[in-house]
Order: sequence, then C-alpha cells, then structure tokens
Amino acid sequence: MSAEVQHRPAYTHLIFWFLFSQGGVIAALLIPVHVLIQGILGPLTVVPVVDRHYDTWVQVLGNPLVKLYLLVLIAVPFFHFAHRIRYLLVDFGVHAAKGTPAQVVFYGGAVAVTLVTIWVLLTTVPIRLG
Amino acid sequence: MTEATSAHVPSPHNLAGLPSPRRGEGQGEGSKEYPWRMPAAWWTRNRHYFFYVVREFTAVPLALWLLWLLVEIKRGGDGPGRYAPHQSTAFVLFSFIVLLFALYHSYTFLSLTGVIIRLKAFDRPVPPRLITLAMFGLWAGASVVVGFVLIWFAR
Repeated sequence: MSAEVQHRPAYTHLIFWFLFSQGGVIAALLIPVHVLIQGILGPLTVVPVVDRHYDTWVQVLGNPLVKLYLLVLIAVPFFHFAHRIRYLLVDFGVHAAKGTPAQVVFYGGAVAVTLVTIWVLLTTVPIRLG
Repeated sequence: MTEATSAHVPSPHNLAGLPSPRRGEGQGEGSKEYPWRMPAAWWTRNRHYFFYVVREFTAVPLALWLLWLLVEIKRGGDGPGRYAPHQSTAFVLFSFIVLLFALYHSYTFLSLTGVIIRLKAFDRPVPPRLITLAMFGLWAGASVVVGFVLIWFAR
C-alpha cells in the first residue's frame, strides 16, 4: 500500500500569517509614538500636535500619502490582533475559537475594519495633491 | 521460521484474536471518557504564563486605541465649528495605559525578530542579536520621524 500524501500550498494560511506578522511589526514600530504624542502629550498641551486644531488636522488628512499611511497603520494591525485574540481564547479553553466560524468572525472583522478605514479616509477629507 | 512458531507472532494479518490496546481489563464498550482540561487559572500559576497572556492581551487595548484614531479622523469631517479633539483626563489615562501595553508589545515582538528573521550577508548568517538591534534602531528612527511629522505640521 503506498502512502501518497498530496501536499497543497496553504495559500490562505500564508496570507493571514503574512498579515499577522506585518501587523505585529507595524504595531510595534508605529503605535507607541502615536499614543504618546496624540494620546498623552497633545491633550496635556506639552507639545503642539497636528490633530489638536481643525485646520492642521484637515490639511494633513487631505494628503494622499497620509491617507495611505493611516490605512496601513490602522488596518494591517487588526489582522495581527484578530490572530492573537483568537488564539488567546483557545488558550483559555474556548475550543470554538479554532473553528471556521470563529475564523470568519475574527479575520472577517479585520477585513471589515479595513473596509471601514478605506471608507472613512476617502469620504472624510477630499484628497488634495500639492 | 516454522509454521508452528509463526502462529504466535502477531502480524497485521493476524490480529483478530488479540485484545484491543484501547480496551484494558474491566473496560467495556460503554466506558466513560475523562478528557484532560486545562485549569481555568493556568495563566496565574507561572510568571512566564502570566506575561505570555499579557503579551497576547496587548492586542485589545491597541485595537481600541486605533479605533479611537479612526473616530478622530472621521470627526475631521465635522467641520471647523464642531471639531473638538479629545483632551479629558479619562482619555489621557486611557492612552497612558495603552502606551504601557504598546511598549510591551513592541519590546516582546521586536525581541523575537532575531529568532524569526534569517538573513545572510556575504554568504555568512547575520547574527540574530544584530537583527534585533537593527529592529530596535528602526523603531527608534520611525518614532522620531512620525513624532516630528505630528508636531511639525501642527505649526
């Protein structure tokens, strides 16, 4: 009896693992400075921050490169978060978190955040070139 | 091997008379299973387990803060009369707690890069410690650039 096993590349796994790792890197490199400046130093008026005034905030948000940056900053880490929270639930004994419905909920949630972010960035402030 | 001795040797074709390895003495077909379950408080019993859970949990506060940022962007479309950035004590306290989790995520995740990333330079493997140091340097550089942009364009 021959024990032939057909190996198929797990493309879905590859994509979500890639998004998980990239989301982790982006969150590690970029989120602390945003939280420190926009969440603490700005509100305490220690330093002037771009989102403290309507004019400067809207001017920056109209830049297409800023929109692209914000999309990456907000959307990609959610694929990392989805993976981590799902496996944390598994570690806490929620075996349903391993199943396909849970994957649809968690990774679908990350896709939903991505779509909402795109919508917000495209509809909030018009793109201004130059 | 004679025919008489081969009759006592179990083979895949001669297992009918042998007891099932899954069924010991006194266990019938209707035996009850007792699957092992992780104790609910497993993560509080060991320091390493606790910090592992903290590391995984960092995803929750970071996600909440990014959702706040998305709301802040959306509020940019409210117009100059209605736009008012958050500056309450509760928001600053929330951000401070998120910052602690964010720093822990950065430290733990970037520390792993030396283990995960395998690079070669001039046909020799780059030392993992150098890769980790480079990632921490990248973190510092990115923080300076982003911080500069957030402050400079506020003028």
